[in-house]
Amino acid sequence: MLARRSLARAVAQPAALGAAPAGARNMATLREIELRLKSVRNIEKITKSMKMIASTKLAKAQRAMLAGKEYGNANKEVFAHVPSDKPTPNKLFIVVSSDKGLCGGIHSSVSKATRRAIANVDDSPLAGASANDSTVDAASPIMVIGDKSKAQLTRVLAKNLQLTFNQIGRDIPTFADAAGVADLIVQSGVKYDSVVIVYNKFVSAISYEAAAVEVKGEEALKESNSFKVYENEDDATKDLAEFSLANAIYAALVEGHACEQSARRNAMDNASKNAKEMIGSLQMQYNRGRQAAITNELVDIITGASAL
Amino acid sequence: MTAWRTMFTYNKYAQITARALRVSLKEEERVLAEKRGLSALKYQKWENGVGGQQVLLKEEVEKKST
Repeated sequence: MLARRSLARAVAQPAALGAAPAGARNMATLREIELRLKSVRNIEKITKSMKMIASTKLAKAQRAMLAGKEYGNANKEVFAHVPSDKPTPNKLFIVVSSDKGLCGGIHSSVSKATRRAIANVDDSPLAGASANDSTVDAASPIMVIGDKSKAQLTRVLAKNLQLTFNQIGRDIPTFADAAGVADLIVQSGVKYDSVVIVYNKFVSAISYEAAAVEVKGEEALKESNSFKVYENEDDATKDLAEFSLANAIYAALVEGHACEQSARRNAMDNASKNAKEMIGSLQMQYNRGRQAAITNELVDIITGASAL
Repeated sequence: MTAWRTMFTYNKYAQITARALRVSLKEEERVLAEKRGLSALKYQKWENGVGGQQVLLKEEVEKKST
């Protein structure tokens, strides 16, 4: 019977030369498809859970942002009425970002905005300010908060880096973080005419954009005519400059944190959707492969049986 | 009165006084307020495109006070 079977196979083979090798290929790819399907399913679970976590964090971050923005708005009021009478090319850039990834284009948005500002390009985030304020020196010092932006900027502007910070952004940023950063900046002795904070502005739950806010230093405040009117003591002016720096950094940190959570939520949402699509198409492929293998086996059995 | 100006910046002064206030609160309010004073900040000085050591800010504060 075995001899007859192999004879039947030998007869069948020239007729369907591709059949046996094709069957062998299908069996190998069936295993591969199964492995891929398993791994994509795991990834989909992970991205879905990350999306849930990011959504809950976003709610909390948005509340903190609304509260923290008031600090920033108070600052803006003061500095809007104190325009520079002389050009201030030597600006200290503070780039606000964070240490964690998987959040879409948050870090690159801020790094690119900084590069545009230093290159004095037309679409620099500083374009809207008055003429004295918006021209920038190419050797302006940069300080970065967040490892991801630090990595991106060291590739291009490593010489300008003065100080970098990390471990911010794990939880909602506190004023203590901002005060610590401001303290270190003032103590570092870096010379600047004014400070530009580059951060991500929260436009809506699904979009953000890079923005820059300018904070004047102590000398600029003292020299501005609009400020001299108040006749403050030098000590008080110095305190005001330092405190408003901490204020502005705090507002930028909380807003950047909220943007990051929303971007992470959107990125994980897209990833889960793509993973679901991939699972669908892989499942179809797997089923077709499985049915083809079964059909081939049936054909073999039937031709074998018909030969008996 | 203003002897502190020679030693640290206004921000540091504000943080020290804030911490003193937090520690003096009643138990429940203190627990809530302590959260607002948490900071795990680390910083790194850069020269000529090369980064220095990463230093924890709180450790420095403790070293200076001991």
